[in-house]
Amino acid sequence: MWTFETMVGEPSSWLDASGPRSDVVLSTRVRVARNLSGHPFPAMAGVDDLAAVEEKVLTSASKSNYLTNALVVRMDEAGPPVRQILVERHLASPTFGVRAEGRSVVIGENEVVSAMVNEEDHLRLQSLRSGLQPLDAWRLVSRIDVEVERNLQYAFSKNWGYLTSCPTNVGTGVRVSVLVHLVGLARLGEVAQVLSGISKLGLSVRGFYGERSAALGGFFQVSNQTTLGQSEEDIAYTVERVSSRIVELELKAREELVARAGRKIEDEIWRAHGILTSARVMSSEEVMSLCSSLRLGVARGIIGGIDLGTLNRLLVVTQPGHLKYFHGENPSSDERDRMRADLIRRELGNRERTQ
Amino acid sequence: MRCDDCGSPANIRYVEMVDGELRDLHLCDDCANTRGMALSLSPFAGPLVDMLMGLLDEMRVGEERTEDGRVCPECGLTRGEFRRTGKLGCASCYEAFGSELKPLLRRVHGSTVHTGTIPSKAPRDIETGRRARALQLELERAVRAEEYERAAELRDEIRRLETEVEVGDTEDRTPVESDAGGANVDV
Repeated sequence: MWTFETMVGEPSSWLDASGPRSDVVLSTRVRVARNLSGHPFPAMAGVDDLAAVEEKVLTSASKSNYLTNALVVRMDEAGPPVRQILVERHLASPTFGVRAEGRSVVIGENEVVSAMVNEEDHLRLQSLRSGLQPLDAWRLVSRIDVEVERNLQYAFSKNWGYLTSCPTNVGTGVRVSVLVHLVGLARLGEVAQVLSGISKLGLSVRGFYGERSAALGGFFQVSNQTTLGQSEEDIAYTVERVSSRIVELELKAREELVARAGRKIEDEIWRAHGILTSARVMSSEEVMSLCSSLRLGVARGIIGGIDLGTLNRLLVVTQPGHLKYFHGENPSSDERDRMRADLIRRELGNRERTQ
Repeated sequence: MRCDDCGSPANIRYVEMVDGELRDLHLCDDCANTRGMALSLSPFAGPLVDMLMGLLDEMRVGEERTEDGRVCPECGLTRGEFRRTGKLGCASCYEAFGSELKPLLRRVHGSTVHTGTIPSKAPRDIETGRRARALQLELERAVRAEEYERAAELRDEIRRLETEVEVGDTEDRTPVESDAGGANVDV
């Protein structure tokens, strides 16, 4: 049975580092924005319209083969801790559910496919995959979109395609995002150069896990900026091709980093390992920066016995919402820092030393 | 426009003034009957509704003046609100603010024409129109290459598609929703 409890107890499948280029790419997300004809977009909709849209979308989604046993979380029944967990697992946007009525999240088994109902648009359907898989993720979303559409009438214009609340999404309504770990380029001081090259290709880049994450660990999100005038396949292909090139540059940078300062880098990686497996108090910023170093060490084969999936997972389960959920009560910031350190030691397998 | 009571297509617009508050209702035949409106209204419908509609339109004109722009007839979003938030209120806003959206879309996307997937329920002519445009390009190429037999085939195929679009047009023109408003009052 796929419930919220089983979901939180299990790691998200897209974090398991089984996908292509997992040494550099954590995950790929493809989402489409859809609206139903005959109802105002959520921001302009009254309670009745929101409820009607929610009902239609949920009914229709439940008939998709990919969402038959999906978990439905109604935001007006979910408290802030549940909302925070959804955000940390990339199943909801940070502001989603602040206005709770008529809003819900639909989560397919293993979190590969999910949907937000009545976010900025009536339906945001997404697929999250491990590693670099824009085309696969798009094809999956597309198949589900066709199934979900069977019982819905989408707002669509001949010239402008799928109509969305924000004109920056109109047309295909598709956003393809790839989460990359550019620790090598960041250390060599080349990351800005690479990123400005990417924006010239019509893609956008921003730091992931908050604005400081770029500086802390070299985590960036690359995504398409435009949604109108190109087919979805072309958009996904562009993101895939550009990301592959970024992966090559990153791998070269890591190579060079080790060639230039091998001993120093090796020392840094082992120190990160030492702190992560021994510390008793740990802030989330520290996790970000240490996991980044350790990730480099594991990807380069400098440290064995730890898999990349474990490190990907730590970035999610050490966030405040997850810690609060498992603690039961509302832990203070100091308590969370202790819980975080304990959790990491457990996850990295140093059970015998947790005393 | 949908019936405010049951959500099925509305074909009656009912405007009333209660305690100085202007109410604008859209109803389907059945719900209007349930409310006992259709009958009670009919003798006075003309002048009364015209007067109230006039008031409503004046209010909208007032908004337009202060915001220096249009108002979406479907959801009531003003041009000023659109400019402030950058968000549209409903599908009809794309029509209402079309003239300023077009340059905006060109700036943002470098294009104003969707070439991606089409919902399976969209009118057939979208697909056929696209195919006809593609064939037209191939026809021009065939003529340049002096492949006249091929060109003749393509020309016939394009004509066939064009007839299909015309037929499809009339077939598909059954509106998905009733008209967004305007001054049409069917009582």
